[in-house]
Amino acid sequence: MAEQVIKPDLDFVKGVIAAGGDSLKKCYQCATCSVVCNVTPDKNPFPRKEMIWAQWGLKEKFQGNPDVWLCHQCNDCTAYCPRGAKPGEVLGAIRKQTISQYSSPGFLVNLVNNKKFMPFLFILPAILLAVVISATGNLGIPEGEIVFTKFMPVFPIQIVFTLALIFGVGVGIMGMKKFWADMKEANGVTSGDLKGSITGMLTELLSHEKFKECDVSRDRATSHLLVFYSFIALGIATALGVLYIDILHMESPFRFGYGTPIKIFGLVGAVTIIAGTFLMMSNRFKNAEKVGLGSYFEWHPIGLIGVIGVSGTLAWGTRVANMAGLAYPIYFIHLVGVLSLFLYLPFSKLAHIFYRGAALSFNKYSGREAAVQPAAETTAPAAGAGTESAHESEAESGQGEKTRE
Amino acid sequence: MEKKIGVYICKGCGIDEAVEVDKFEEVATKEMKAPVYKTHDALCSPEGLDLIKGDIEGEGVNTIVVTACSPRAKHKEFTFPGCVVERANIREFVAWTQEPRTEDTQALAEDYVRLGVSRAKSADLPEPFLLDETEMSVLVVGGGISGMTSALGAADAGYNVALVEKNDALGGWAGKMYKQLPQSYPFESIETPTIGATIDRVTSHDKIKVFTSSVVEKIAGVPGQYDVSIKTNGGSEQFKSGAVVMAAGWRPYDAGKLEHLGSSNPNVITNMQMEEIASAGKITRPSDGKEAKRVAFIQCAGSRDANHLPYCSSYCCLTSLKQAAYVREKNPDAMAYILYKDMRTPGQYELFYKSMQDDPGVMLTKGEVTGVSEAPGGNLFVSLKDSLLGEEIKIEADLVVLATGMVPNTKIEVEELAEWKAKFDEKLKASGGQPDPKAPLEPHKVPNILNLDYKQGPELPVLEEAYGFTDSNYICFQYESRRTGIYTAGSIRQPMHMLGSIEDGMGAGLKAIQIVEATKNGYSVHPRAWDQTYPEVNLQKCTSCKRCTEECPFSAIEEDEKGTPFHKMSRCRRCGTCLGSCPERVINFKDFSINMISTLFKDMDIPEEGMRIVALVCENDAYPALDAAAFNRIKINSAFRFIPVRCLGNLNLAWVADALSKGIDGMILLGCKFGENYQCHFVKGSELANERLGKVQETLGRLMLESERVKLVQLSIQDYDKLPDMLNEFADEIEEMEPNPFKEF
Repeated sequence: MAEQVIKPDLDFVKGVIAAGGDSLKKCYQCATCSVVCNVTPDKNPFPRKEMIWAQWGLKEKFQGNPDVWLCHQCNDCTAYCPRGAKPGEVLGAIRKQTISQYSSPGFLVNLVNNKKFMPFLFILPAILLAVVISATGNLGIPEGEIVFTKFMPVFPIQIVFTLALIFGVGVGIMGMKKFWADMKEANGVTSGDLKGSITGMLTELLSHEKFKECDVSRDRATSHLLVFYSFIALGIATALGVLYIDILHMESPFRFGYGTPIKIFGLVGAVTIIAGTFLMMSNRFKNAEKVGLGSYFEWHPIGLIGVIGVSGTLAWGTRVANMAGLAYPIYFIHLVGVLSLFLYLPFSKLAHIFYRGAALSFNKYSGREAAVQPAAETTAPAAGAGTESAHESEAESGQGEKTRE
Repeated sequence: MEKKIGVYICKGCGIDEAVEVDKFEEVATKEMKAPVYKTHDALCSPEGLDLIKGDIEGEGVNTIVVTACSPRAKHKEFTFPGCVVERANIREFVAWTQEPRTEDTQALAEDYVRLGVSRAKSADLPEPFLLDETEMSVLVVGGGISGMTSALGAADAGYNVALVEKNDALGGWAGKMYKQLPQSYPFESIETPTIGATIDRVTSHDKIKVFTSSVVEKIAGVPGQYDVSIKTNGGSEQFKSGAVVMAAGWRPYDAGKLEHLGSSNPNVITNMQMEEIASAGKITRPSDGKEAKRVAFIQCAGSRDANHLPYCSSYCCLTSLKQAAYVREKNPDAMAYILYKDMRTPGQYELFYKSMQDDPGVMLTKGEVTGVSEAPGGNLFVSLKDSLLGEEIKIEADLVVLATGMVPNTKIEVEELAEWKAKFDEKLKASGGQPDPKAPLEPHKVPNILNLDYKQGPELPVLEEAYGFTDSNYICFQYESRRTGIYTAGSIRQPMHMLGSIEDGMGAGLKAIQIVEATKNGYSVHPRAWDQTYPEVNLQKCTSCKRCTEECPFSAIEEDEKGTPFHKMSRCRRCGTCLGSCPERVINFKDFSINMISTLFKDMDIPEEGMRIVALVCENDAYPALDAAAFNRIKINSAFRFIPVRCLGNLNLAWVADALSKGIDGMILLGCKFGENYQCHFVKGSELANERLGKVQETLGRLMLESERVKLVQLSIQDYDKLPDMLNEFADEIEEMEPNPFKEF
């Protein structure tokens, strides 16, 4: 192999540390992390090599590196790390660094993920909405029966939120494309089965098959699945709303009976989003001792989704209970939350929708994934099968230990 | 002294179950004629001890045979001042290792009673050897951190100290540091050197006399009476000393030999140069004075390398971590790259390593440095293979620091050795002698540090594999040298960091005051600490064959003008190697003599039927191994009678002849492993015994006996589980021969 000149970058190391990877330097490179990890491919496994790159400040190594995104942050590595280097958290911090590399403008990533700017981040969309509402609706407590469109009519909602969503998703997709190109270049991959790999990724996503291979934080797959499906349900409910209002021109579909599909999806979504975020939080507290509580970067989207779920449900509840003084302010909070979600989507941890999706697809696209067998099928590796099976057997013995515990 | 022997049998610890104790009375009183015989259920209990003490006072018993456990147990209990005490070990050697209540077991136990009484009859009370006057002061050679700590340790304990330092100032290498490693918990941050305070304490101490710009010219005499001459500031001075601590330190390995690491490039410096640069201010590089913001440290520069220093100096990793710390302290934007083979941070310094790892600007990687080459702008590329990435990498640095190892100042380089030999030969020629070009030149004979006036050479002998360090061959007694009264401390003994040197210096300083006290009171130091016997020579019969002077491991026997040997007693460690070496058998101890052992063979019961084998057992290693076998209740062949000796170096061929002519079928010698690197307490007694056995054929030929009847077995203390097989194998060999025909006489 040709000698490569490495250029340690102190600022990159400091950046990772500041982003929540403060344990990064504790790593003494024993590779326990790569051995206990259930989701890593066998070839060039992570997270050990990423730990070294990050420790040394080899910023360019992360250019087009899919592995930090293959990591689901199960934190098995963190739980078993003998030196408390928390590879799970460090990879999370590195992911934050790569988000700023691909989602432009990158400075927004630091803004969104900085605790200090949190009030500002909510005040900005709040002012925006207040301006729009006072121009088109009634910024106050409207009289009579509680109907949210009295507060903010349908049309401005559609305009503001569609634009925000287009901005968020657009930035995300652009970043994803850049990332994809970088992955191809960094890994020397020129062609592959794009359709098949995306289908494969989506199939995995629907069942969260990969996430369930996690060990220490197995429960996180469930909570994530709940939130994931709640978004789908709420998305369907919103789509139905659009269908009723804009296409069928029906009036206020939200006042339909509880047996109609829009209500069913809405309510199921509300319940699952609250249950999911609640589980996410409790899991993190439960595992904090083993794997750490997580950084602001991790908590930001959980909190945001929690606020959206709770405010949405309370808005509905107070409306039904006819408590106008509460219902409208809560509804306003809900709107601010959803707007923040859309606007900050590609800059917060939620950008993983784009980048993890891309990385998981790329892993199949490049053919690396085929090397991994589903955990259920791994049997004792044949003797002398080389380094790959050596890695497998190490991983297995790691699992064995865990089972004994 | 008129002896009155009392035999006391203990029945405890399983002895009563294994043998018929009642039958011992006849052996002790009738056969061996001991006037007092008593048994007790637990002899070491207060009641049991009172029984003996009562007889000492009431009956006038003054020679006591404690027939109980191993002499290695209950030493304190079975000490009776003014009385000869012999221990017959029937607990470990009989009760715990034999089938209970068999004829063989009973015969074995009865033999141990005989041997115990026999020894007691031969032994006398020691009369300590005392110098006319004992000098209680300590000479410390070397004024670095180790030497100063030694000096302070001895001086604070109330002993006068003379501290001799070659340079014009105290402090040594520790005085050249910009910063020092953390000295105490939590071992996290580097410190401002504290050496100044130590120097102040030394120079202001009223019990320490400091000689700077001075070297030792000659040390003659013995512990407690050394005559020291030093050359000081052009003049010379003489004084007396009781003990010596050698803390003459180390020098850095010559980086000039590390051409493959770019040592000729001005921007490739050593860790000692780094301290100088740092002391001057910013970290700049020599070539252009530019500030170095990327400093690469190459660990094991010439260390753990067969072509340079084959060993680890144990301080270099820590020094680089320390230097990385101040590189970062001086400029927070600077980076330090530490390129290591293995990170070695002994002891609590793991904590320092951890704290340095946490610094984002310290990059650490394992790997093998394959070369240093020039990069644009006066920078350097360090190439590395087998890095942690598994790739060959190249890293650019402004400055490269070679973490070189320690060379003890006792080590003489080949070139120096040749130079010295040339001078020596010239001198020899001038005095009319003929130089022998083939004469081997041993580094320790080159005078440079202690200049001892000893027959066996002017410097401390260095172990074969100690790379010139004056390390002890005792694992547990690291300050011991093979010159009694001379202790070594610090990095001349073993490579170590400053904290280690402080501990070492203190230890050696305290050992120095221990020996002056021991000498004053006429007892031996390690390993026969508290022994007041010493070798007594019947000079009238001495033939001046000089074997004893050659073989004494401690240079304790010198020769007068006529070539007659005499002991320099306070150098002696009472091993008894001289006793074994003497063909005229004129060297004996009060409680251990040629005749005593020979008498044992006479007093032993040797029946016409049944095999009898005697085993001479080294008391330091083989005897504890036998005890260990007993603790583990390992069965041992009942044909063996174990006889402890001070060292296998005691073996005198007279014993072989005496034993076998009494009808004993075989003799096995259990001793240490050969070679001076094994921690034989007396250096190589076992090997000497083996040499003497080379002539056993001659002795046994006269008796018409097979030389295979005598065998030496090398074992170490942990081989206790292999002992039964070793013994059985020898018993089988003896079995195959005819019984010893002398049984019938």
